[in-house]
Amino acid sequence: MVGALPSFAAAQEGGPCLIGKRSCTASSTDPHSNRTRAEVIEELAAHLDETFEGLRRRGFAEEDAAERGRNEAKDWRDLRRRIQTARANENIMTSRVKQFWLPALLTLLLSMSFLMLIQVFGPNPWLLARKSGWSLVAPVAVVYIPWLMSLPMIGAMGAYLSNRAGGSQLAVFSSILFPVLPYLVFFLVALPVIAILNDRLAHNIVFAALFVGLLAWVLAPGGALLAGGLLLQLFYARRLTSLSVVSN
Amino acid sequence: MIGAGIKRGTAELAVLSILEEGPLHGYEMARRIEEQTKGALRFTLAALYPMLYRMEQRRWIRGSWETSDNRRRRRYRLTPAGKKRLSPLRQEWSELFQALRRLKKVALA
Repeated sequence: MVGALPSFAAAQEGGPCLIGKRSCTASSTDPHSNRTRAEVIEELAAHLDETFEGLRRRGFAEEDAAERGRNEAKDWRDLRRRIQTARANENIMTSRVKQFWLPALLTLLLSMSFLMLIQVFGPNPWLLARKSGWSLVAPVAVVYIPWLMSLPMIGAMGAYLSNRAGGSQLAVFSSILFPVLPYLVFFLVALPVIAILNDRLAHNIVFAALFVGLLAWVLAPGGALLAGGLLLQLFYARRLTSLSVVSN
Repeated sequence: MIGAGIKRGTAELAVLSILEEGPLHGYEMARRIEEQTKGALRFTLAALYPMLYRMEQRRWIRGSWETSDNRRRRRYRLTPAGKKRLSPLRQEWSELFQALRRLKKVALA
């Protein structure tokens, strides 16, 4: 039955040029661009055909059905622009970039910059180690208190950016904890490798340093980052049940 | 008659909800939404496709070409991210409607 009906394109003089003449002739030399453009044209043409056929089945005259089909998009140039905008957004910045990489790299950059500033201009770090008389016994944990205090805010910022971009729980938590990743890699990969390759190092000290380093540079900062990030997550969870949607 | 602003806001919810029932191509999607809302929500081609492409870019829906009845159509299905988006969106709209209903009661009091 469908096949017996004339198509929308056939009802037009020479067929419709769906999103402008330039698009129809596929002037770009980029094969990917042509492919997606051709797909858009094919999809819109199929939609118009089905609209036309549906109207014909409902008893509309061919001219009326074609007229209604044309009215599906009054301004083809505007439609082309809106489709291009909708499809181009993803090329500029993918969801993964917005939901994970951008917040994660920003939290990493901020935490590193802040640590450097504190190391140069801030107070002396807190040194944690066993004492033997007046001297400290290795391993020594170097703790920058002002840096640790700044991390909840940085974690909250990572959570906010990832949440705002619609990130999953995994993306949000990865963004929050991303700044401790380099330290985790260092203590879990680089330090054991160094210990294995360098036979001059006392292994009992290296493993104690590994534990102390993980505590001071991974667990403590990770906890601080999570404290801020989780607080923001809690805020978002509560906000979801509020009536703030009215402002959207 | 529902105004344009409200329609725009509900459009994403309508598409995600209709795709929750199963994969559909654009024309069928528009037809079902119009049918189920008794004509209150009607998507023209110009309104539907930019939104579908935007939702596809956000990975809420995924389109793939399929051939049936000797026709090639791009059929859209809901992704896990789309399902995740649907739940808070429904809640937000439900809360909005509840708030408006309460407002009406206040106005009638």
